[in-house]
Amino acid sequence: MSINLILPFLSSVIMLAFTIFVFQRFLARRAPHFLFWGLGLAMFGAGSFAEAYLAITWNPWVFFAWYLFGAVLNAAWIGHGTAYLMFRKKWVHVITVVLVLGSLWATMLMLQAMRNLNASSFTTAKPISEQYGTKRVEVGDAVPTGVTVQTVEYRGEQVQVIPGILPLGTPVRLTTPFFNIYGLLSLVGGAIWSAFLFWRKRVLPNRVIGNVLIAAGALLIGFASTLTRLGYGQFLYLGELLSAIMMFAGFLMAAKPRPVEEAIPAVQMAAGD
Amino acid sequence: MPKKIPRHSSSRMPNSIFYEKVIPALLIGMGIVTVGLILFAAGVLLGLVHF
Repeated sequence: MSINLILPFLSSVIMLAFTIFVFQRFLARRAPHFLFWGLGLAMFGAGSFAEAYLAITWNPWVFFAWYLFGAVLNAAWIGHGTAYLMFRKKWVHVITVVLVLGSLWATMLMLQAMRNLNASSFTTAKPISEQYGTKRVEVGDAVPTGVTVQTVEYRGEQVQVIPGILPLGTPVRLTTPFFNIYGLLSLVGGAIWSAFLFWRKRVLPNRVIGNVLIAAGALLIGFASTLTRLGYGQFLYLGELLSAIMMFAGFLMAAKPRPVEEAIPAVQMAAGD
Repeated sequence: MPKKIPRHSSSRMPNSIFYEKVIPALLIGMGIVTVGLILFAAGVLLGLVHF
């Protein structure tokens, strides 16, 4: 079994347990932040499972799930749960509408992209994160040995590319920065802010550590994704696994109940509520 | 009215180098990395970073 199969499979198992844990809390408390966390974590898990599947064989709809849930949507949905927890204001509902509409738009763009997938460039020898995108080759760019460069027409001109599964200029790829900026800002920013509040008030060290772990886990996957965009996709699956472990551990730590004899003002409640 | 928190309660943050120095440094460091990643993503959006 290859490492490209084992690491995403382990990530998906951890995310499944994490998702069930969060949905159980949602069913018990009916708080919207648990719902959005659960949905985002389920997307993360689906993306990881799709990676494991694509390490074995090709399936266009598994690729659809991998890109849409794993690369585009999951961070924003998890982060939106944190936004609900942090702010509890009416404008968060407005962002919910924007997020849902934006997600539907991205889904539509992904469905459109399905007609143009270049499945012939797929191989199980490389992680999907290293072969999904078509890369434009500029003059002077180094081309890895064994890689075939093709000439294609793009916006009325002939350009050289290293072919990938999604053709050059596929619109759905332009949506990922929007979702990921919001996800990074809300999830990591929210966790850092929560940790800072508890730290400043000198209370609930478990929530300080828990939020630090959540922020670090989310940053790790953001960092690994950035490296993937820069052409170093080999770190993505390890980053995902470590991220899943850190975020789950952070959530468990932050969610530990307070000792019953103590009373902390409600305003201090944040992640792990 | 809230009860008084015991001196050695698990709800109180211990006085240690970890909480006094390491945690704030981590929070600041992660904040900087977050801003860096957001700028990178914005660069992709604006076409300044090619991928």
